[in-house]
Amino acid sequence: MSGFTRYLIQRLLAALLTLVGVATIVFLLLRLLPGDPARIIAGLLATNEEVERIRVQLGLDRPLPVQYVIFMTNLLQGDLGISARTNQPVLTEVMARLPATLKLAIVSTALASIFGITAGVLAATRRYSLFDYVASFGTLIGISMPVYWLGLLLIIVFAVKLRWLPAAGADKPASIVLPSLTLASFSVALIARMTRASMLEVLSQDYIRTARAKGLQERVIVFRHALQNAFIPILTVIGLQFGALLGGAVLTESVFGWPGIGLLLVDSIFARDYPVVQGTVLIFSALFILVNLVVDILYAYIDPRIHYG
Amino acid sequence: MTSRTLARIAVLLQALLVIVLILSACAPGAPTPTPQPAQQPAEQPQEEPTPTSPPEPTPTPKKERTVFRIAVGIDPDTLDPVATTTTTVGNMVDYVVETLVRIDRDGNIQPLLAESWEVSEDGLTVTFYLRQGVKFHDGTPFNAEAVKFNIERMLDPDVRVPIRTPYTPIERVEVVDEYTVRLYLKEPSAPLVSAFSWTTAGMISPASVEQFGNTYKNVQHPVGTGPYVFKERVKGERIVVEKFEDYWGEKPYYDVVEFRIVPEAATRESLLLAGQVDLIILPPAADIPALQQNPDVEVLLAPSDRTIFIAINNLDPVLKDKRVRQALNYAVDKQAIIDKVLFGAADLMDAPMAPSLFGYCPVGEYPYDPDKAKALLKEAGYESLELNFIAPTGRYVQDFQAAQAIAGYLAEVGINAPVSTMDWPSYVATIVAPPEENTTQLHYLGWAPAYLDASQQMLQFLSTYAPPNGLATSFYKNEQVDELILKAQKETDPEVRKELYCEASKIVWEEAPWIFLWVQRFPIVYSAKVTGVSYLPNEKFDALYARPK
Repeated sequence: MSGFTRYLIQRLLAALLTLVGVATIVFLLLRLLPGDPARIIAGLLATNEEVERIRVQLGLDRPLPVQYVIFMTNLLQGDLGISARTNQPVLTEVMARLPATLKLAIVSTALASIFGITAGVLAATRRYSLFDYVASFGTLIGISMPVYWLGLLLIIVFAVKLRWLPAAGADKPASIVLPSLTLASFSVALIARMTRASMLEVLSQDYIRTARAKGLQERVIVFRHALQNAFIPILTVIGLQFGALLGGAVLTESVFGWPGIGLLLVDSIFARDYPVVQGTVLIFSALFILVNLVVDILYAYIDPRIHYG
Repeated sequence: MTSRTLARIAVLLQALLVIVLILSACAPGAPTPTPQPAQQPAEQPQEEPTPTSPPEPTPTPKKERTVFRIAVGIDPDTLDPVATTTTTVGNMVDYVVETLVRIDRDGNIQPLLAESWEVSEDGLTVTFYLRQGVKFHDGTPFNAEAVKFNIERMLDPDVRVPIRTPYTPIERVEVVDEYTVRLYLKEPSAPLVSAFSWTTAGMISPASVEQFGNTYKNVQHPVGTGPYVFKERVKGERIVVEKFEDYWGEKPYYDVVEFRIVPEAATRESLLLAGQVDLIILPPAADIPALQQNPDVEVLLAPSDRTIFIAINNLDPVLKDKRVRQALNYAVDKQAIIDKVLFGAADLMDAPMAPSLFGYCPVGEYPYDPDKAKALLKEAGYESLELNFIAPTGRYVQDFQAAQAIAGYLAEVGINAPVSTMDWPSYVATIVAPPEENTTQLHYLGWAPAYLDASQQMLQFLSTYAPPNGLATSFYKNEQVDELILKAQKETDPEVRKELYCEASKIVWEEAPWIFLWVQRFPIVYSAKVTGVSYLPNEKFDALYARPK
């Protein structure tokens, strides 16, 4: 077994343990929340008799340890259970929403990376120039602007006033433009700041001075010698941001009626739909762990000094 | 590091791009598989016009399919009629599934799938005479057998039916002939016929529960007799229905109706203003005045049956005193709150129920009179009071905001009752706690009967319906009122029944177990380019026969 394979297996085993831990914590946390799922599903007009019947159907009448054992046993067999709210398998519910969320997260991350890295590099190479100040100010706004407010502003300008783009939904190719811009605004600022800082650090290194002394073109210095070496922290931020976007798109999805998993999660929390909340959080966690693993493997690609095994 | 590394990164980015492209090909979310009923054309719903040209539902030539788009705030938990609990979900299901009777705009019961009905002298049998020549969307004939199947399914304890209680007096269902169905009751139930107007009692094709991915216990693809056929659902995004060519009644104008799921009120409003949908419900309340001024849209503040009130804990040592409860009622300028905080989307209550319910009669008013409130408090022995007060946020039109205004008015008469809020499930758990654990003193709540009859409303004043047995969360108890309510439930003479409710209402009003606030209006906003949009008095829009002007 090569070192890398062993490393991979170790990481995957650790991931599995983490997931079991996450499942347990989510299970317990949900049950600590006040609120009766059966009553919320049945509505106020339902009588207690019907509510009780639904509670039995959901298995919520059994003792907590029994519920936990059933949940874990099913989970290990890959069964996430049945949604209390919709009566459909949790996996069906999540899979119906996951592509929309992935699509939004990937497009936003790509947008944020392209704009963020470009702005960061330009700001670092033109330090204390007008562009640097404008970029710093812009990223400050990007970080502090609430998603909710920015989203509505974009809708009013591009959908209501200009009538260029759909205000909500996900049924047309152009539908993704506004939500991904909104979602990217925060990450772009973060990536730009990280790129600028990382680039400045590298640009002050001796070997850059040597390169300049050799008479290399500035373009070559910036892109081949500096950016490549500045890339590891930038990649880390991009990876973390992508993970956060998977789970953190709730507000954006809500503002744009984007049928993603964030909305499903919120709906399910407010309905105390335990199985769906558990399933969604587990799938989030799995994705997040996966993204982190991919980022770690990418380090070795970018920097040959890093080896696993 | 070499340029080879950079090339690798480039390859990875390209791979990402490919994934995006693949995803965009299959997203957003695979539509739930929806096999076509045989007689339906198998084409996709028409693509909407490009966003640059605002879509107009014009009656244009050449078979271009007309689409009516409605934006709603909630993603349905179910489309199975028996499992519905939410009016907006019911509203959508009603396009596809019909009931035996319906209510009209004034709240009267009208024939739908039943042409007429009879209640026996003793109130123990109800006979429905069904409309003939009606077909379900899958071609199954609608007849007495189908009605029997649906009622028995509704009563089957294995099926999830949250609002089953109105139908539980039914003991058995008899098929008298092809188009006559008779129900035998365990005990007389005056509101039973009215309950057959609610979506729970929607008639689906008996054959369909084994098809289209449905099971007997779990229907995801409703097949009814309605003017529209269920076509497609993309969870969290939209539900599409198509005109049923063999519909028995007047056929609607639009070929396709699309329900868009848009949770954010401000976004729904933008969709309408951008011309991307034709009708929305529940715009941001604060924008109602501006929308009313906008010539491009029409605003309909539809009367509803939802009473909004503050339930007073009648078991509380302080609030047990009727004078204190009356003082609370006099202390609040409700009309001012309706005008300033709800932007006109409500009407003052003048009885413990909405005027659209059978059994309503106006019984009085508590005009704004802070001096009287103070005097009553003083009489009860209080100069000032500290009360806890909770309200939900976003459940009812401007709920938390209105509660804050109310707290302001209470402070003026010496009652300090700062409002706090919590999420809905926690809120419900708090207010339905049994008396010994229940610490709430004032809580803001809305109550809307499913069908327009006083019976479900008056449960709020029935002492046996208090938590933990039910949801009469003010813990009000008056033996005379209990007796009147129980009597009215069984009384079959409508006039006598109305009298009983009226009498109970008078007592309740005088004893003030609630701060009686208002009957909420249901805001509907639609494009000025369409006509034929109306409402039903139970928080539903009626746009079935909408058409371009």
